[in-house]
Amino acid sequence: MTDKDLSSKSAFMEWIDKRYPWTEFWKKHLSEYYAPRNFNFWYFFGSFSLLVFVMQIVTGIWLVMEYTPTADGSFASVQHIMREVRYGWLLRFMHTTGASAFFTVVYLHMYRGLIYGSYRKPRELVWLIGMVIYFCLLVEAFTGYVLPWGQMSYWGAAVITSFASAIPYMGDLILTWLRGGFSVTGVSLHRFFSLHVIAIPLLLAVFVFVHLVALHHVGSNNPDGIDIKEKKDKNGVPLDGIPFHPYYTVKDLVGVVVFLFVFCIVVFFTPKFGGLFLEPDNFIPANPMVTPPEISPVWYMTPFYAMLRAIPNKLLGLMTMAAGIAIMFVLPWLDRSKVRSIRYKGTYSKIAIVVFVICFIGLGYLGHEGVSPLRTIMARVFTLGYFGFFLLMPFYSSREKTKPLPERVTG
Amino acid sequence: MMKRYILAILLVLFSSQLWAEEQKFEGLQLATAPINEFDMDAVKRGAKFFATNCMSCHTLTYLRYDKVAKDAGIVTDKKPISINGVTPPDLSLEADVRGVDWIYTYLHSFYKDPATASGVNNLIFPGTAMPAIVAPFQGEQVLVEKPMHDLLNQVQWYDLVKPVKQGSMTPEEFDKAVADVVTFLAYAAEPYHAEQERLGYWVLGFLVILFVMMYLLKKEYWKDVKKTRQ
Repeated sequence: MTDKDLSSKSAFMEWIDKRYPWTEFWKKHLSEYYAPRNFNFWYFFGSFSLLVFVMQIVTGIWLVMEYTPTADGSFASVQHIMREVRYGWLLRFMHTTGASAFFTVVYLHMYRGLIYGSYRKPRELVWLIGMVIYFCLLVEAFTGYVLPWGQMSYWGAAVITSFASAIPYMGDLILTWLRGGFSVTGVSLHRFFSLHVIAIPLLLAVFVFVHLVALHHVGSNNPDGIDIKEKKDKNGVPLDGIPFHPYYTVKDLVGVVVFLFVFCIVVFFTPKFGGLFLEPDNFIPANPMVTPPEISPVWYMTPFYAMLRAIPNKLLGLMTMAAGIAIMFVLPWLDRSKVRSIRYKGTYSKIAIVVFVICFIGLGYLGHEGVSPLRTIMARVFTLGYFGFFLLMPFYSSREKTKPLPERVTG
Repeated sequence: MMKRYILAILLVLFSSQLWAEEQKFEGLQLATAPINEFDMDAVKRGAKFFATNCMSCHTLTYLRYDKVAKDAGIVTDKKPISINGVTPPDLSLEADVRGVDWIYTYLHSFYKDPATASGVNNLIFPGTAMPAIVAPFQGEQVLVEKPMHDLLNQVQWYDLVKPVKQGSMTPEEFDKAVADVVTFLAYAAEPYHAEQERLGYWVLGFLVILFVMMYLLKKEYWKDVKKTRQ
């Protein structure tokens, strides 16, 4: 739909617009939503996240048609999907690959926000709502991982729910309440299924909508971190802004095809991804009598798992892990720099970002590997680095020399 | 000086003791299974061998007996039994759980061990309850007294055992038969795999064409953006 179509509205659209703000909505969020013209590679990942979300919902709907959420039937029903349901293997591999793809694109989306200061005033709520989405995603991924009811599903659920028992006084009560019994059973499986297919997806849909509403209210940030709304033409259109539709819709479509290409390589040729996306032990049905030699969460949760293991005390470890996620929420109030983007920040901030990335990836690696004395020390160093990045930010971001900001966006 | 002697003696003792008593076989490398899982003839031969020699104990619950299985003449509906208190595992997903190289090496590396109930033991699965099913074909093997100590940890299963009695198959025939069974089990774990790869190439091809179209579309639209820069 171009401007020309909208100016000469059909009688049908007239009828609709008198009853529903369709054209107004279209303009506000697409054809007259002015996005900075200098979006780079990093700005693809928001659109990709939305695409993967839709893909997970659609494949999920079809998987639920053939899946059985009971301790007796679950494992076999997954094999039924893989073998007898036509293209069932495709649906399931899209869904399992989609889970890892979701975290990949969301982590890169968050990293984009981090380096270009997209969480700074007036976008604090965009960041906060995004963090709520990220937290929901962690719960969604965990509950989904339990559903195939393999050995890792079962023992992963046992380990993660057991965290609750570290809570003083109420721990065991909460643990029993979470599991729906004294141990992980078919009852736990059934409730995780309910959360995975109804409660969390519903929350996610609402929060994704709110995330976009908040973003479109304040406008998008850009790699220079300067405000494009300060320089407008006589029609009130930002000089460095271009309509999201059609410019960024067609640009994102190119990105989407590239993303799908990589995604399909995994789905069709290496869906297990060397045991990283689908762990070998999860092809063994859940057995409460046999503990697998190594229980580690899937790769996207391992940084926090490594923090937990780095602390010798269970309750303190748990609090460290929770703090690791919680501290990201307050990021907008930790950054005191005069500029938003890393492009114009000083040396301290640049070093801090590098340290943060090394620590986060290092923790992710360690959380996936077994424990050894050297690895525990490394995990502690990385945990310190991770928290140091956030907790020292008020000091290093306000004291460093920043570069002068450009008048208009560059590139 | 004294300490060094003690250390040297301990090291010598320990290295020989390790072999005789612990039987841990650390550093054992998996043999590469020479299989092509899309070779339907091998699947059929492996299925036949599997049905004759394995299915009296192992089930293949999730493998439906479609055309391939029928062609190979597999008997269905065997109830799981118990051997020395162990229920033989279902093998429909074994290739996903252990990998084809593991199964290939496992079936090669049985050796005589009077200490076990079945009289045989296995290099990569010590204490396995599976009896000497492959011995009639492979022949009997025993552990070598002085295994080759390879500093690079490149020990193969055949470095650790030696044949003492010929089986009904030559070593080449046996390798082939085991490769067929492994091929069959790879198929049993992922019967969709051939279709998956075939479809994958079409999808990727489609995406390449779509990319060219989308790229040209984007270029066409973005001409204005470059032009209107003020």
